Amino acid sequence: MAPARDTPFRSADMSMVQLYLSNEIGREVVNALGELGLVQFRDLNVDLTAFQRAFTQDIRRLDNVERQLRYFHAQMEKAGIPLRKFDLDVDTLAPPTTAEIDELIDRSQSLEQRVSSLNENYEKLKKREVELTEWRCVLREAGGFFDRAHGNVDEIRASADDDDAPLLQDVEHHISAPEVERSFSGMNIGFVAGVIARDRVAAFERILWRTLRGNLYMNQAEISELLIDPANNEPVQKNVFVIFAHGKEILAKIRKISESMGAALYSVDENSDIRRDQVHEVNARLDDVKSVLRNTQQTLEAELTQISRSLSAWMILVSKEKAVYNTLNLFSYDRARRTLIAEGWCPRHDLPLIRSTLQDVTNRAGLSVPSIINEIRTNKKPPTYLKTNKFTEAFQTIVNAYGTATYQEVNPAIPVIVTFPFLFAVMFGDLGHALIMLSAALAMIYWEKPLKKVTFELFAMVYYGRYIALVMAIFSVFTGLIYNDIFSMSMTLFDSSWEWKVPDDYRPGQTVSARIRDDNYRYPFGLDWRWHGAENDLLFTNSYKMKMSIILGWAHMTYSLCFSYINARHFKRPIDVWGNFVPGMIFFQSIFGYLVVCIIYKWSVNWDGTRAPGLLNMLIYMFLQPGFIDVPLYPGQKYVQVALLLIAIIQVPILLFLKPFYLRWEHNRARAKGYRGIGERSSRVSALDEDDDDAAAGRNGRPSVDSAAGEGVAMIAHDLDDDGDDDEAGHGHGDGFEFGEVMIHQVIHTIEFCLNCVSHTASYLRLWALSLAHQQLSAVLWSMTMAIALKGTGIGGAIFLVVVFAAFFCLSCIILIIMEGVSAMLHSLRLAWVESFSKFAEFGGWPFAPFSFKQLLEEADDLKEYMG
Amino acid sequence: MANGWSIFIGLVVVIAMCLASWFFAPKGENQVLWRSSLILSIVSCYLMWAITFLAQLNPLIEPRRSDLRKEYIHH
Repeated sequence: MAPARDTPFRSADMSMVQLYLSNEIGREVVNALGELGLVQFRDLNVDLTAFQRAFTQDIRRLDNVERQLRYFHAQMEKAGIPLRKFDLDVDTLAPPTTAEIDELIDRSQSLEQRVSSLNENYEKLKKREVELTEWRCVLREAGGFFDRAHGNVDEIRASADDDDAPLLQDVEHHISAPEVERSFSGMNIGFVAGVIARDRVAAFERILWRTLRGNLYMNQAEISELLIDPANNEPVQKNVFVIFAHGKEILAKIRKISESMGAALYSVDENSDIRRDQVHEVNARLDDVKSVLRNTQQTLEAELTQISRSLSAWMILVSKEKAVYNTLNLFSYDRARRTLIAEGWCPRHDLPLIRSTLQDVTNRAGLSVPSIINEIRTNKKPPTYLKTNKFTEAFQTIVNAYGTATYQEVNPAIPVIVTFPFLFAVMFGDLGHALIMLSAALAMIYWEKPLKKVTFELFAMVYYGRYIALVMAIFSVFTGLIYNDIFSMSMTLFDSSWEWKVPDDYRPGQTVSARIRDDNYRYPFGLDWRWHGAENDLLFTNSYKMKMSIILGWAHMTYSLCFSYINARHFKRPIDVWGNFVPGMIFFQSIFGYLVVCIIYKWSVNWDGTRAPGLLNMLIYMFLQPGFIDVPLYPGQKYVQVALLLIAIIQVPILLFLKPFYLRWEHNRARAKGYRGIGERSSRVSALDEDDDDAAAGRNGRPSVDSAAGEGVAMIAHDLDDDGDDDEAGHGHGDGFEFGEVMIHQVIHTIEFCLNCVSHTASYLRLWALSLAHQQLSAVLWSMTMAIALKGTGIGGAIFLVVVFAAFFCLSCIILIIMEGVSAMLHSLRLAWVESFSKFAEFGGWPFAPFSFKQLLEEADDLKEYMG
Repeated sequence: MANGWSIFIGLVVVIAMCLASWFFAPKGENQVLWRSSLILSIVSCYLMWAITFLAQLNPLIEPRRSDLRKEYIHH
């Protein structure tokens, strides 16, 4: 069996494969497959917790390295060292050997120790430096207090004497005065000096005041320079304080309070000579500390710079390695035979590639034991794998945003590539705006590579959709030409088919109407420019655009409906053709197909003189009063309409009953012949029941292609039993054929389909509404800016024109291109998602998520900062 | 020129273009993409042109305006 190559038309053919690997090369194989990115592994150890799995130890080791690397990064950020980012497009990483990984682990271990010890030293020194600086400040500031205070000792004494000194003491003091007089200790006054954070000063003062009942004299000064808090590297403002108080206990109390308030106390001598010596000493020590500090910092920075060169690469290596072990943990490990057994999905057409990759790895490792890859048959529903290229990627994304297509059904993105931008353009038809958009899209595509690096989110989104923008802009150029609109003006590309009927006595302001110039000439491309600015312009364009919306909608829906035929044929479900597609199509065409035919017929008939029929009324009367014709469109219309109505009505019961009853008949026939489904279920494949067949397949075990696999297969088949229900299946609505359920599905489908035919057709009128809005909005913008400015004359008028043009251009870009564009895009998106997809797509698939390094690195948020 | 027959001439041209896109679409796994996109685009554009042309083929109303300048009126 060699079917045609995979195309974007359907999701790729998938196969379930089993891999038998020798334990030694498990890591290398997974690495190679990760580079390929084509296999999605299934978890074969669902019943094991994360801790019981075989390679948890390795993952933990790598987690530790990752932590260390992040620590380096944090240190580098702290030191302001730039990181050399890793560019995936330019640099490549060879898959590492185990030895290299071990080396990396050892290296990062030793580096971590080194960096952290350097850091510790640095912090210790920094703390010392701050202390010394504070001490110096205290010495400087306190010195000032003392110098000032000494001049006032007498006053202080006097006041102290007043309170409590008995007369005699006064005499005693005076005796010893000469030596002691000029010192505080002589007065029995002690002091405490220190530094405290400025924001705590107020609280500190209050507490001291309260506890000492005012028995203190506090002096403080602000330190002008900012001090660095070594704990968190933040600058703090601090004050120096000196507190004078009476008595040892009180001083001790003050010390305790200061320490509890987080103040640092420093010893200061009141003798100015000693103090000078202290200052000198402090300065000398400070210099020493500073030079050591500088050295330490230099060493640290050198170390970190060294690391910064390869940190990103290491980070990516470790992430990849972790992913490899996480994948290996999904494998079933046969300890006795030292074999790894893996199972997963891969595209059938890429099997040879995977096989040769395996072969390569095995050969390189020089193993005599071959790695085996087996394709196995399964009834499980394969994942949907839609290959994309850079053009289709964005289109596929907007389809996937709605849902994942069922395996092998027509890829809804295929028609969307054209219909989505085209319907957008019908709403956005203005040549001027389209050209601006086109140049933007082309610029994004021309500078594709450099712009890829832009991380600004809004731009990245537009950039991602650059090819959509390109196609939208191209179609908008076309529709702009058709609507004959360029910034709401019209172009006179061809001769008009109208000419004004000018009366001989024409006065300005008189109403003039036009007539067809030549009966054999009509405006060949787009809208006649004679309509532009006419009083009844809207009357004509509204009728034209409304009818166009209906016709385009009809075409879009008919086209979409045809895909349901292709799907039914591909899945070999003829009943879907006869029970759904054919009656649905007849129903739709006999009402709306007829309407479209009537529209075109009415256009192509010359109604000169006779009254033209209103098509809207015709359609309404067709339902409300069959057989009644208000104004005839063509002879025999009455009978045609009644017949069409009857045909449409007959389709409803066919839609309702044919499929469910056919399925029941088929089911009963199979039973009558003695067939039983596995586990009492029918083996029929149908739209409604195909999902829940896999549970049954599991129960039976899967016939293995390769009988030599023996035990391994049995085990895996057993595994499948367990997870079949909760993994991707998860539907399981009862066993066997349930007529009721099928019937309910069909009733819902029928009602939905018939109502949707009406509502969806009406929904396409948004094409008219949006295009009218766009055209009117740009006309208003023109008349409010350029039309006024163009009337101006002279230099002033010219300057005014330039200014107004800038405003006009900016507003055009912002309102008419960006805002209107987004709105038209959303409406077009809705037309694709609802009106079109509901006609054919099931969206019952689950996405293929292969194990791929490329994807892993692109999607990992925590690696973003390491990659450029 | 440019009378009712234009629709059919256009149709012939468009069919020729569709056939050309079918046969000259680049080979490879994206052939189906080329064919479907090109043909769908051509048909969509034709449809839109044809609708616009048909809508003006037998007009039921004629343009009317009262702000024409005398110099312009015969253009």
